[in-house]
Amino acid sequence: MSTAGRISQVMKGVPMKPVMSANPVEARRRVLTLYKQWYRATPKIIEKFQLPYTVEKVHNRIREEFMKNSHVRDVRAIDLLVIKGQMDLQETIKMWKQPCHIKSYFHQETAVEVPTDFLGKFFTQKH
Amino acid sequence: MALVRLLNQSVSQKLIAASNVSVTTVQLKSFTNAPLKDEDRIFTNLYGRHDWKLKGAMQRGDWHKTKEIVLKGHEWILQQIKESGLRGRGGAGFPTGLKWSFMNAPPDGRPKYLVVNADEGEPGTCKDREIMRHDPHKLIEGCLVAGRSMGARAAYIYIRGEFYNEASNLNLAIREAYDAGLIGKNACGSGYDFDVFVHRGAGAYICGEETSLIESLEGKQGKPRLKPPFPAAVGVFGCPTTVANVETVAVAPIICRRGPQWFAEFGRERNTGTKLFNISGHVKYPCTVEETMSIPMRELIERHCGGVIGGWDNLLCVIPGGSSTPLLPKHICDEVLMDFDALVEAQSGLGTAALIVMDKSTDVIRAIARLMEFYKHESCGQCTPCREGVSWMNDTLKRFQRGNADPDEIDSLWEISKQIEGHTICALGDGAAWPAQGLIRHMRPVLEERMKSFHDNKQKSTA
Amino acid sequence: MLRIATQKCCDQLPSRFLPFLSTKSGAAVATRRHQSTDDKVEVFVNDKPVYVKPGSTVLQACEIAGIQIPRFCYHDRLSVAGNCRMCLVEIEKSPKPQASCAMPVMKGMRIKPDSDVSKKAREGVMEFLLANHPLDCPICDQGGECDLQDQSMMFGSDRSRFLEHKRAVEDKNIGPLIKTIMTRCIQCTRCVRFADEVAGVSDLGTTGRGNDMQIGTYVEKMFKSEMSGNVIDICPVGALTSKPYAFTARPWETRKTETVDVMDAVGSNIVVSTRAGDVLRIIPRLHEDINEEWISDKTRFAYDGLKRQRLTQPMLRNKQGQLVTCLWEDALPFVAEKLSTTEGSKVAGIVGGFADAESLICLKDLLNHVDSEGLCTEELFITDGAGTDLRSNYLLNTTIAGVEEADLVLLIGTNPRFEAPLFNARLRKSWIHNELEVALVGSKVDLTYSYEHLGDSTTTLKQIADGTHPFSKRLKDAKNPMVVVGSEVFSREDAFGVHAAVSAIAQNATVTSQTNRGDGGADWKVLNILHKVASQVAALDLGYKPGVDHIRKNPPSLLFILGADGGAVTREDLPKDCCVVYIGSHGDVSAPFADVILPGAAYTEKPGTYVNTEGRAQQTQAAVSPPGSAREDWKIIRALSEISGMTLPYDDLEGVRSRMSEVSPNLTRYDAVESANYFKQAAELAKLAKPQLVSKPLQSSQLSLADFYMTDSISRASKTMAKCVKAANEGLTPDL
Repeated sequence: MSTAGRISQVMKGVPMKPVMSANPVEARRRVLTLYKQWYRATPKIIEKFQLPYTVEKVHNRIREEFMKNSHVRDVRAIDLLVIKGQMDLQETIKMWKQPCHIKSYFHQETAVEVPTDFLGKFFTQKH
Repeated sequence: MALVRLLNQSVSQKLIAASNVSVTTVQLKSFTNAPLKDEDRIFTNLYGRHDWKLKGAMQRGDWHKTKEIVLKGHEWILQQIKESGLRGRGGAGFPTGLKWSFMNAPPDGRPKYLVVNADEGEPGTCKDREIMRHDPHKLIEGCLVAGRSMGARAAYIYIRGEFYNEASNLNLAIREAYDAGLIGKNACGSGYDFDVFVHRGAGAYICGEETSLIESLEGKQGKPRLKPPFPAAVGVFGCPTTVANVETVAVAPIICRRGPQWFAEFGRERNTGTKLFNISGHVKYPCTVEETMSIPMRELIERHCGGVIGGWDNLLCVIPGGSSTPLLPKHICDEVLMDFDALVEAQSGLGTAALIVMDKSTDVIRAIARLMEFYKHESCGQCTPCREGVSWMNDTLKRFQRGNADPDEIDSLWEISKQIEGHTICALGDGAAWPAQGLIRHMRPVLEERMKSFHDNKQKSTA
Repeated sequence: MLRIATQKCCDQLPSRFLPFLSTKSGAAVATRRHQSTDDKVEVFVNDKPVYVKPGSTVLQACEIAGIQIPRFCYHDRLSVAGNCRMCLVEIEKSPKPQASCAMPVMKGMRIKPDSDVSKKAREGVMEFLLANHPLDCPICDQGGECDLQDQSMMFGSDRSRFLEHKRAVEDKNIGPLIKTIMTRCIQCTRCVRFADEVAGVSDLGTTGRGNDMQIGTYVEKMFKSEMSGNVIDICPVGALTSKPYAFTARPWETRKTETVDVMDAVGSNIVVSTRAGDVLRIIPRLHEDINEEWISDKTRFAYDGLKRQRLTQPMLRNKQGQLVTCLWEDALPFVAEKLSTTEGSKVAGIVGGFADAESLICLKDLLNHVDSEGLCTEELFITDGAGTDLRSNYLLNTTIAGVEEADLVLLIGTNPRFEAPLFNARLRKSWIHNELEVALVGSKVDLTYSYEHLGDSTTTLKQIADGTHPFSKRLKDAKNPMVVVGSEVFSREDAFGVHAAVSAIAQNATVTSQTNRGDGGADWKVLNILHKVASQVAALDLGYKPGVDHIRKNPPSLLFILGADGGAVTREDLPKDCCVVYIGSHGDVSAPFADVILPGAAYTEKPGTYVNTEGRAQQTQAAVSPPGSAREDWKIIRALSEISGMTLPYDDLEGVRSRMSEVSPNLTRYDAVESANYFKQAAELAKLAKPQLVSKPLQSSQLSLADFYMTDSISRASKTMAKCVKAANEGLTPDL
């Protein structure tokens, strides 16, 4: 029997060691806390990075990022995402990040749609 | 004039009558240093006092019983040459019998050729021209005998372009020989067909090197070929060829006539026979003279040339074998014998046995620098060490001549000459490196002194 | 005389006496001769035993042992000169170091390439080489790819002792292609040997002696060879560099694309160096079966034609009759409308010499879709008899490398020296090493080797065919004969007659050569067609009609010209209302009378398939982008098909190529020569059609070097080629 198999058998039935939260409720509370922290930091972030965006727009973008993970149900996974979110927040507030890192969250709107059909490609690209 | 007495005709005829043409085993007798007797001289018209044409030559014994020699076949002739211990007279001293025997590979349909190297361009050397202008029949007869020994179809005599009179004498002699039936179809009535052609060079020293001589003969630029293939395998026009010096070829018939042990009597073991010596430079009577091999240098100079100008003690150095050999200072010249092995032992060489004697009035640096200029001019330019190195040495020696150099550069020159030596296709690179090496080996104090005085003078003039 | 002398030695001597025979150029010969004796010689390199073929050189033995010996004068494909002395190695029992490039191996030889003596010798030679070398590397075009630079780093000393003045040598003017900086020359004589042996033009030589020795032409003249550019590659230093490329780029700045040449039908392998979308130079790439490591001057230097006279924008002819630039979005619908409204039989296409197989198949599919059969190649061929139905009828069946096995070649109506310089170089190589004999029916030209000229009349052909000509006897006695017909004979009115006569000659020779060889096998092919343009074989493989007869007979209302600039069809040949669509890269002969111009890509700008005259499919690669709005040719046709509502069923390269292989599978078997083998049937079919011969002499159009340089739309646009023509015609001008 493989090592991995042995471990999974050993782990079977044994409650997983929590990362931080013991149950989904606690995990939800942590997420909300992080969300509020980001919301409150937003004006400061805009000022520090001299972002050309309104608070509302940044709020929306933050919300989008959170909603990306709304499907996650595993408490341990949620905890890890919260930890990463906190690290991200710290890097942002302490300006360990560069403005371009922040701005890259807002860049989708300038990306041009690339034609995929033959004629479209023919008219626009050389190769 | 040199103390050379010449054979008169009666002596010559007696001598020939006494000669035998039989096979005998050779016992090398111990070497004695007796002067060469007149009746033992091979080149009896070295000074042109007699008729050089066919009639005169025959009176001196040339073309005597040549037919019988030719009829004895190549193995017999080779045996005679081998037993005589004859070594090539062109400078390298390769055993002649052995070299000629390389030509006896099984026939493959290609004709074989003898090429006679008469491109005598070595500074100080003037032996072959004496043979060709005063004894051309010796050479032509030699061609036939040597040619027979290797089964050659024809001989090409590549003669130096500057030798105009020699070439015309030779041509005349060849015509005489053809007319008398001595060469050509059925040479001497022996049934052997043999032609002799003369080809005149155009004045390049390098064409005296055997492979470049072959190139030149074929009508190409005279640039040495790579060996292997050796000329005995692929030579002139792609056929087996042996290139031999004039003197080597010219002594072959008489060895066959008088027997190898007669020839082997002269000189030390492995250095047998008589040899033409050319002595030039600071001697009273510069001359070309036939002497036994292994004659002490001092005796040679004093007996035949009236000694060094100002006496033996006035001698500075001698270049013993044509310009390519390293010079020897007086203390070596006192004792050294004139033969291949003794001179190699003295870190020089017999070369063509052309002694260039320099007394103490000589600027030896300038003399060697001048030789280097010669080699620079004559390098064919084909391979790198010789092309670049010799002109570098020339430039350096020019500065040495004035003293405008650092003593360290002497070592650098030594190394450069070592970088040339043995790294080239032909021996010209070696020949150019050796004089410089001889200069450094024996005259280093002179060089250093010159540099010191140059720098002293310079300092004085600036001060 | 010389050749005979050399040859004699070759026959009569063991090859170890002739080091030049054991070089690669002669390797094929040597291997064939030694096939039975497989025993190898044991030698020791650095005390490690190595087994080498008898007759190899010490240098080759070291290479087998994995030790690279430095060299300058030695070159695989040239005779051994042994004069640079860089390859000196110590050999035990030899008193002095030996030149390893010339020294044959002997049994039990102990070679010490890493000993102190060897190292010292190399260092010494390197010091001498550098003594008079100007060391102007910063302004030297060879910098970065210089043998002297590399080897002085590897084997040289770290300081100089040279205190004298350096030698300076006056530069020579040897034509508009090769720049000489003779002070840099190290007198390795590679160029001299190349000119003598490979190019067959003894224009270069050495003059002067010793330190004054110079390489040159003696009197100032052009190095008149169609392969002169190769001396740039073989020069180990910067003495011979490319004039057009001078001071352009360093090798490490450029991007190299390995691709294939299309300037002739040989398909030489090349490397295109580019920087920032510019083709900077073209150098050869090794392909033993095609070009070895040489390329012709047109291949090498015509690249500046890729930047001039280019079509960069689509164009439409306006009401005033002028061509004005427009957008693809305008041009394509215009053509599509014409295409869908024109009756299929009134649509036709002509393809030129630079068309790749991809665009050929697209055009064919499109035109077939509208029920048009008017697909023609500009180059002519025969249509009677077996015509193009049997591949063996239109290929160089013996293959280029096969020339080295041939013993007798009959050239008909061709001048291979200018039509296919590398094929000619093979003939010359075989002529030197294998005693190949050549005869020619056609214009008397200088082929760089001696040949028997059998006249230029068609009667001679007829006589050889029916065995009444004295040459028939020799053809009958030959073991591996070749008959090579130039494609130019197919422009004659009696093309079919000539082809039939040649087929008959070849068929007879095939039969006799089988008995002469005694093998009975049919693997030796005698009939060869030497094409001039790169696209022809692929076009015939795909079923194009050779020649524009069809178009003359059925005047079209819509004509597609795919890079056909040979002038086969002019405006005068076409009806007044005919709409001409030109797809191609250069505004040369045909574009000016077109109504629509659709700018295509040149061979350095697209991945394309070309089949060379042997029938070997090869592909080009895109080294740069097409200029302006130009597009790859097959894409233009594909886009057109979509707009006209008859979309071709493929839209990427893989798709096109799988369609190609449906039509002709050999087109995608890259680098393989698909053999063709229906000679007998072809000859019989030819007889049925009653071939006729007319008495017009067989001639070739490229007679002198000046005719060679400008033959197609790219080389006609090249300034360098124009300079070459001028120099070849009028001699050198001092300021080039």
